[in-house]
Amino acid sequence: MTIQTVGVVGSGTMGSGIAQTCVQHGFRVFLYDLNDAIVQKAFTQIKKRLNRLVEKGKMEEQTFQDSISRIETCTDLSLMKACDLVIEAVPEKINIKKEIFQALDEHCPEQTILTTNTSSFSVTEIASVTKTGERVAGLHFFNPVPLMPLVEIVRGVKTSEDTLKKLAQFVSSLHKDPVVCEDTPGFIVNRIARPFYNEALKIAGERLAKPEQIDRIMKKAGRFKMGPFELQDLIGIDVNFSTTETVYNSFFGEERFRPHYLQQRMVQSGKLGRKAGEGYYPYEN
Amino acid sequence: MKTKSFTVKVAGEGSLADSIIAQLRETGHQLEDQSAVHSNFDIVIETTNLDIDQKKKLLVEIEKTLPKETVILSTCLGVTATETASWLQHPERLVGFAAFFPWEDCELVELAPALQTEKENVEKAKQFFEEVGKEVEVVEDGVGLVFPRILSLIINEAAFALTEGVASAEDIDKAMMKGTNYPMGPLRWADHIGIDDVYAVLAGMFKETGEDRYRPAPFIKKMVYAKWFGKKTGRGFYQYD
Ligand SMILES: NC(=O)c1ccc[n+]([C@@H]2O[C@H](COP(=O)([O-])OP(=O)(O)OC[C@H]3O[C@@H](n4cnc5c(N)ncnc54)[C@H](O)[C@@H]3O)[C@@H](O)[C@H]2O)c1
Repeated sequence: MTIQTVGVVGSGTMGSGIAQTCVQHGFRVFLYDLNDAIVQKAFTQIKKRLNRLVEKGKMEEQTFQDSISRIETCTDLSLMKACDLVIEAVPEKINIKKEIFQALDEHCPEQTILTTNTSSFSVTEIASVTKTGERVAGLHFFNPVPLMPLVEIVRGVKTSEDTLKKLAQFVSSLHKDPVVCEDTPGFIVNRIARPFYNEALKIAGERLAKPEQIDRIMKKAGRFKMGPFELQDLIGIDVNFSTTETVYNSFFGEERFRPHYLQQRMVQSGKLGRKAGEGYYPYEN
Repeated sequence: MKTKSFTVKVAGEGSLADSIIAQLRETGHQLEDQSAVHSNFDIVIETTNLDIDQKKKLLVEIEKTLPKETVILSTCLGVTATETASWLQHPERLVGFAAFFPWEDCELVELAPALQTEKENVEKAKQFFEEVGKEVEVVEDGVGLVFPRILSLIINEAAFALTEGVASAEDIDKAMMKGTNYPMGPLRWADHIGIDDVYAVLAGMFKETGEDRYRPAPFIKKMVYAKWFGKKTGRGFYQYD
């Protein structure tokens, strides 16, 4: 069986990006959310984004029509039974995710693969509410989904090889790069990228260099596209802080991941980065 | 070797010495015979990182041949500039700097005065690096300064993840390039820089602070014992012909 129909549960930032990418690559998509108003709004967003590609001459009108015709919005989770693969992208709350996986496990036939886009929970924990866990894996996309080429495929303790193999094929057919990783805190990227922010904060905290200097050094000596402080401003300092906290706690307080109080002060002050008009740098909104 | 205003000698181990000499040659600076018993250098660059005792011996030896005006630029990857200066008869002449191999790729060099350093020597160091085409950022003294310290910790984390079986080396590198736009995967990057220099920063930080956060990944330590220094020895996280 090859994957043809994809269910996307949760039509927010990630869910709508995932749905868009899927239909652009020929998959049929059932896009689910709590109510019609939310899911219609997401559908409108997707149409707008694809339409922009048409206007820029990056997509044929016909491709646009074909793509949007492949999306079906819904508010009934049992419709996921028609899918070969379900990707869950609801808010990062463990109870919501568990409830959804329990329901999906009941609705969907045995061959449907069930995946979660979680950034920080254990895939094994989410899979624990299903009967066998073999068909459950992590499918971790990066924001913004249509642009970021990486997808981490996360192997839970009970995930089957067959599930992983099919997911790798699926990711490749989206023209994205799959990497397989074990179910460990932060997976690959969110873990290994921690020191980029954390150590920069520690250096700034020790007053060895100013944030602007650190950004300049990392770009000009290190060839990073953005410095650690600029990048926090772009991501959202609150989002970055919470990722660090989660990884730190998931490693049971491993010192390498300890968050820095300077970053917490930024969050407490509401200087969250670009979206707030001010972070480590001022922005004109 | 001669830049517009300085007579320079380069000494020490590590990947940096050769690549600094090569770049100075390439940019048309006149090279003097390093073995000549000639002491009229304005600047001596010293680049040993892995073996701190060796670094100390070398600096003490070199200093004996130098007039007291000569400025010594010494890498502070594994040790602070302030500690390095403490080994000298004239500690005020020492200016710390940090860069990772390949030298020609870095547009910017970090400088750090030791507590003992005289201001005018920092200016001289700055002028020298600017004359060889580098931007300069002056920061406070600390092991590894900014870029080598941050990158070494990223590499350390990648090494921990690798040995914990989180993913393969190739997938770790691919993930960091495609998932968060790194210019190179951290493991391949480490092979390019030289595992010896990366380890020097980690071991130096660990020794300096006593914080577990800087503990070198056991695999990196083993690589140093086995002389798997990366590309230059044919073996690092990857194998090279
Ligand atoms: N935003 C990112 O940068 C990013 C990156 C990678 C992974 N993630 C992960 O993706 C997931 C979704 O994140 P997001 O940023 O898209 O969130 P979001 O808040 O933008 O979207 C969540 C959507 O889920 C819907 N929802 C809420 N409760 C629901 C329920 N019970 N059933 C179905 N739908 C429900 C909401 O209406 C909303 O549309 C999270 O697990 C997050 O950790 C986010």
